[in-house]
Amino acid sequence: MTTLAQRHDGPGTATVPGPRRRLTGLVVALATLLILLVLSVMIGSTAIAPSVVWDALSNPSADIDQFAIRDYRLPRTVVGLVVGAALGVAGALIQALTRNPLADPGIFGVQAGASFAVTVAVGLLGVRGIGGYMWFAFAGALIVTLMVLALGSTRQGQSPVVMVLAGVCVSAVLGGAGSALELTNPDAFDAMRSWNAGSIVGRPLDLVWPILPFLVVALVLALAVSGSLNAMALGDDLAAAQGVRLTRTRVLAIIALTLLAGGATAIAGPIGFVGLMVPHVARWIAGPHQSWIFAYSVLLAPILLLASDILGRVLMRPSEIPVGVVTAFVGAPVLVALVRRKNASAL
Amino acid sequence: MNRNSSRRRGTAIAAALLSTTLVLTACGGDSEETADTAAAPQTRSVTGGNGTIQVPADPQRVVTIGNTTLPFIDMGGKPVGVTEVGASELALIPTDQKATFDAATNLGSSGDQVDMEKLAGLKPDLILAQLPASEFEGIKKQLEAVAPTVFWGLDVEWKALADGVSQAGDVTDGLGEQKAKFQEKIAKIQQTYSAIIGGTKFVNVDRWESSDPGTFSVADFGCVEIAQDDLGMNFPKAAAGEDPLGWTSLPYEQIAGLSKYDVITYPVDAAGQPKVSFAPVVATNTWKALPAVNSGRALGVFCPGNNSYGPVLQYLDSLDTALATLPAKQ
Repeated sequence: MTTLAQRHDGPGTATVPGPRRRLTGLVVALATLLILLVLSVMIGSTAIAPSVVWDALSNPSADIDQFAIRDYRLPRTVVGLVVGAALGVAGALIQALTRNPLADPGIFGVQAGASFAVTVAVGLLGVRGIGGYMWFAFAGALIVTLMVLALGSTRQGQSPVVMVLAGVCVSAVLGGAGSALELTNPDAFDAMRSWNAGSIVGRPLDLVWPILPFLVVALVLALAVSGSLNAMALGDDLAAAQGVRLTRTRVLAIIALTLLAGGATAIAGPIGFVGLMVPHVARWIAGPHQSWIFAYSVLLAPILLLASDILGRVLMRPSEIPVGVVTAFVGAPVLVALVRRKNASAL
Repeated sequence: MNRNSSRRRGTAIAAALLSTTLVLTACGGDSEETADTAAAPQTRSVTGGNGTIQVPADPQRVVTIGNTTLPFIDMGGKPVGVTEVGASELALIPTDQKATFDAATNLGSSGDQVDMEKLAGLKPDLILAQLPASEFEGIKKQLEAVAPTVFWGLDVEWKALADGVSQAGDVTDGLGEQKAKFQEKIAKIQQTYSAIIGGTKFVNVDRWESSDPGTFSVADFGCVEIAQDDLGMNFPKAAAGEDPLGWTSLPYEQIAGLSKYDVITYPVDAAGQPKVSFAPVVATNTWKALPAVNSGRALGVFCPGNNSYGPVLQYLDSLDTALATLPAKQ
C-alpha cells in the first residue's frame, strides 16, 4: 500500500507522496477553503443571524444587517482569497527560484518598494486613503524589483544569490529612507502605522478588480515555468543539460512573483509568514513538484489568511486585530514546529 | 646672566599687571552683577503638574510644547518656538492664528522629539508643555535647565489647562470675556433644548486620518466632553478606570449598531461637510440605512478644538445650530 502511495523522485528528494495522496490532499484543502469562505461571511465582530446572511446573498434588500454582509464581509472574504492565493504562489516561486526555504516574497524588495512608495505618496504628495496609495504601492513593488533584477544581473546572467543580496540591500536603503520620512512627517507616520499592520478590512472590491488581471497573468506565468523550476532544483548545469533556458525562466518567475506579491501587498499591505510558511506545508504534502506546490499554495494560503482573519475578528470583540498581526502570531510557532519535524520539507 | 635677570624682571612685571587686571575685572564684575540684580525681571508663581514654578511676570519669549500651542495662540500669545500640530487641526484655526503658528520655530514633531539645541538657541524665558507625563519625565531636566517650565498632564481638564496657560503665559486679557460668553452659551443651550437634552440618547462618532481603513470610533473625548459634562447630554462614556471608547477602532459592519441611538453627532468642517477622514463612513450603505440618518437626526457638528475657549465657543455655536433642527424632525 505504501509503495502505491509514495515513490522516490530521484536524487535530492525524499520519499514523496503519490498522485492519489496529492489529489486527496488537494480535495481536502479545497473543501477546507470552501468551509472557511462560508465561515468568513458568517462570522464577524457583530453577531448576525445565519438567516440574515442567507437573505443577504439570495434575497438582497435594504435591511441594515444585509449591508454588513454584502458591503464588508463578502468583499473582505474575496480579498482574503485573492491576496492569500497570490502570497502563497509568490512564496513558492521565490523559494524555488532561490532554492532557499527561508526566502519569502519580500526578499527581492517587493514589500520594501511598496512601503516606500506609500510613504512618499502620503508624506510628500498628500495622497490619502487605501484607494489612493494602492497604485503607488503596486508601482513601487514593480520598480524596486526591476531595480533588484538589474543589480543582480551579471555577465553570466541572473544569479539568485546576487539578486537576494541586491534585494536585501535595496530593502535596507528604502527602509531607512522611509523611516526618515515617517519620523519627520506625523501624517505619513500615522498612515504607515496602519499600512504596515497588513489588513484586509475596508478594501472594497472596486480596489481588487483592477489588480486581478495582473494576478491572473502572474499565475499563468508561474504555471508555465513550473516544469523548468523542477529541473533547476537539480542545479543549473543539469537543468541546462535538459534544455531549460535559465535566464528566461528566472526572468519570467521574477515577473510572476513581483506581480503576485506586489499586487497582494498593494491591496492589503505587507502580510508576513503566509508566503514563507505555506510553500513548506505544500511541499510537505505534495513533494517537490512545483505545479503541485503551486496548486496547494493557491488553496492553503487563503485558508491560513481567512482563518487568521476570522480569529482576528472575534478575539478582541468589538474591535479587531489586523490579519497581518494574526498570521505572524500564529505563523511563527507553526513554522518552527514544521521545520523541527523529522521530515522537514526540503527544496 | 643679565639676559636671565631681565627676563625674570619682565615676568614679574607681567604677573603684576595681570594680577591688577584680574582684580579690576573682578571688581567690575561685581558692580555689573549688582546692577543686573537690581534690574532682574519680576516673577510670579504659577502651579502646574510639576509643582509651583517661578515664571517671568511678563514673558517675552515663550515656547509651547504639545497641546499648549493652539490654546496659547488662541488667547493671543505669540510663541517663539512650537512643536508640530497636525495638518487637520491647523486647517481649522483662523488665518491670523495660523500665521502666528507658522512664524514660530518648529522644534520637532512632538514633545518627546524636541530639538533641545534649537530650543536653547531660542533663549526662551518660559516653556509651556502639555504631553504624556512619561514623555515629560524624559525631558524635564533639559527643559528646566533652559527656562522655567510649566507642565500639565493629559488628564488635566481643558478649562484648567486654559486657565493655567493664560496665567503662566500672561495672556489673560480676553479670558474673562471668553469665560462669560461660554457660561452664557451653556445656559442658553440648556434652557432652549432642555427637553431634548433630558430625553435623548446621543452617540458621537468620529474617524481620524490615523484610523485604519474600514474602521470608525464611538468618540467620548474632544468636544463631546463639553456636551456631556457642561450641557448634560447623554452620550456613551467609558466606565471609570477604563480606556476611552474612542480608542477602540470599530469595523464598519458595526455602524449598524448605531441604530439604538436617537441622535448621532459626527464631525464636519467649517463649511458643514463631513470631515475628510469621516467622509468614507457617510458614504457607506449602512450609514445611509440608519434610522437616525434617514430621519435627519444625524447632526454634523464642527469642532475646531477643545483646549481653549475660542474653538469651544465655535463648537457650541455649531451644536446650537444642529440641535435647532431637531424638534421639527422629531
